[in-house]
Amino acid sequence: MMSTRAVQAFGSFLFAIALSPALLFAAEQPVLKWGGDCDGGAPYIFRDPENPERLIGFEVDLVEALAKKLGRKPEFIQNQWDGLVPGLKRGDYDIAINGIEITEERLREASFSIPYFHTYEQISVRKGDEAIQSLTAARGKIAGALTASLAERILEEAGGIESRSYSSQTNLYEDLANGRLDLVLMDQPVAIYYADPDPRLRSVGEPIGRMSYGIALKKESRELLASIDRALKELKAEGVLRDIYDRWGIWNPLVAREFKDASPSRPARELERYLISRDGFSGWKAKLSRYSSYLPLLLEGALTTVKLSVLGMTLAVVLGLLLALARLYGGPVLSTLSLVYVEVFRGTPLLIQLFLLFYGLPYLGIKLSPLVAAVLGLGFNYAASEAEVYRAGILSVPQGQADAAFSLGLNRRRTLRHVILPQAMRVVLPPMTNDFIALLKDSSLVSIITMVELTKVYGQLASATYDHLGLGILTAILYFLMGLPFVRLARRAERRASLGWR
Amino acid sequence: MATPPFIEVQGLQKSYTPGVPVLRGVDLKVRKGQSTFLVGRSGCGKSTLLRCLNGLESFDLGKIRVGKAELERGGGVRGKPGLKEIRALRDHFGMVFQGFNLFPHLTVLENVLLAPQVVKGLSRSEAEEVAVPLLEKVGLKAQLLSYPAKISGGQQQRAAIARALAMAPEVMLYDEPTSALDTWLSDEVFEVVRQLDAEGMTQIVVTHELHFAREVAEQVVFMEDGMVVEAGPAAQVLKDPEDPRTRAFLRKLQ
Repeated sequence: MMSTRAVQAFGSFLFAIALSPALLFAAEQPVLKWGGDCDGGAPYIFRDPENPERLIGFEVDLVEALAKKLGRKPEFIQNQWDGLVPGLKRGDYDIAINGIEITEERLREASFSIPYFHTYEQISVRKGDEAIQSLTAARGKIAGALTASLAERILEEAGGIESRSYSSQTNLYEDLANGRLDLVLMDQPVAIYYADPDPRLRSVGEPIGRMSYGIALKKESRELLASIDRALKELKAEGVLRDIYDRWGIWNPLVAREFKDASPSRPARELERYLISRDGFSGWKAKLSRYSSYLPLLLEGALTTVKLSVLGMTLAVVLGLLLALARLYGGPVLSTLSLVYVEVFRGTPLLIQLFLLFYGLPYLGIKLSPLVAAVLGLGFNYAASEAEVYRAGILSVPQGQADAAFSLGLNRRRTLRHVILPQAMRVVLPPMTNDFIALLKDSSLVSIITMVELTKVYGQLASATYDHLGLGILTAILYFLMGLPFVRLARRAERRASLGWR
Repeated sequence: MATPPFIEVQGLQKSYTPGVPVLRGVDLKVRKGQSTFLVGRSGCGKSTLLRCLNGLESFDLGKIRVGKAELERGGGVRGKPGLKEIRALRDHFGMVFQGFNLFPHLTVLENVLLAPQVVKGLSRSEAEEVAVPLLEKVGLKAQLLSYPAKISGGQQQRAAIARALAMAPEVMLYDEPTSALDTWLSDEVFEVVRQLDAEGMTQIVVTHELHFAREVAEQVVFMEDGMVVEAGPAAQVLKDPEDPRTRAFLRKLQ
């Protein structure tokens, strides 16, 4: 039952994929590519828990309204939040929107539209702890905030508060509820969606600080910037923005003052709908059917993970062999080059290598596609490990084997191919299989260069549905299953390679 | 003798570390069809001499000539010998090692097939026509499909001899071929050496088993400290040596 359902869902998903480009081209409108990170969660840009293939959020509505004004068709480009501004420079999309605060530092890197939303930081505490109403009252307490956020800076400047850094709001509020934290300082829209619905938590105190979200553009896009500013002013004047913020329940006194609009807010329909779809299901049947509806997306992510890992490992296995041979037999120059390569790629983080490949190379005029950059990044990095694995394998073959081969008239190349490498493979295969499984899991790092693979899909779904545990287990199972066939394949190859030894 | 010897070594010098010579000017002559036994204490340079002959080891000074192939270093000759010159020398020799050095990932038959197929470019069946009779000759008809780890040391060494013979060398080199074997297994191996000698194969054998040298050798060469001390017919060197150092060595062994 379960499996046929999943297959059906997967089938309809494939159908949708096949159809979507056709629909896009049929419109024949110029496209407005917009970058964002749907890992950020509600209410900005996130996957609809009811229908995870659909993106929703107040910024999605905003972009739709904006694109209509501009006479363009919006097209969403997923990128990790940290990479949103660098991605603009690469030209991966025209604009970036995702709660990006207009700051001095960012204005040096990109242009910003007029602000489309104003907000502030909100204190949330455990129920019963409402006394912690202000930063002064929070002295000596443990506070949490998102890494490198305005909230974190405010906590540090306040003094006397122990500040802890988090990468996701769901973890922040979970730790507040379970007592690891005493308070959380967070952007008000997030508090509305993640703290306020939780019966264990309360949002208290006055608004703290102030920030303005803007649409980021590459500095060169002056014309587009002007027309976006114009469109935003019109949307504001026509009440479209107000309407969006009301529906999503994030209208606040700060925006009211900036927009000079004191009228009472209307019902937050989208907020209600979201909370019902997120929390309004219980029992294992409801859960199962929900998970099976997420399966197509997870499987698509898993497919990307497998593709990346297989291609990356293939590159690593080939390049690693060349590196090992250069190191062992290449003479002083090649040998040193190989050594330097291994030390550099093994000694620096994969994350930074990926970042440089994707965002650094365009400065030299080389713009790699995300898939190519991901495969090269993983391949180059793992080639360093594989080189050492090969070297260990080759060195494990006694010198007498080469002596015997030479004395029979085999040259170096033939000796390697027919005598040394077949014996080395026996030693090489187990650690290489190990590395492949490690690479399979490391491949999740490529989400910083806009690739959406399994872990990224998990993050998106988990932040939208607030269900880290269930989805986490599902994702872990998928990783395990992906590794299995390769492990079995490797075991067979190993058996063949060690024929003479058994 | 009017005809020049088939193998001629002149003034061969070699050191692995500068100032510590292993060979200090070795001269050696081997006639075609002759079995020469190199004897002497461990570390006297016998094995190094053997490895220099087929280019597994380089040397610093001197000359090696085998048939028409020649390799000379030092004196007027500059630079390292090229791969071509080493190959020209090496093609004359087949070599058998103390540790057998069979390829463990290949069966006995595949061990013998490898070089004819890869180096000479023979097809599998052509190579088998060479390999199978050789393996039968050394008494391994029943072990063709066994892996080296599954057969005895004596069988492994006989397979190694067949493997070397498959390339039809003019000279067989044996580097302590029985040091890793007990007496019975040694006899199996030497039986093959004896048979090849009877067939007229030119052979150079490094060994400590003097009783065997007595039976098979036409020439015995006694080395000490990287030099040839005494060389001559087996009967003379082993029974009535001229040099006191040879006599001392033989006394120790008996």
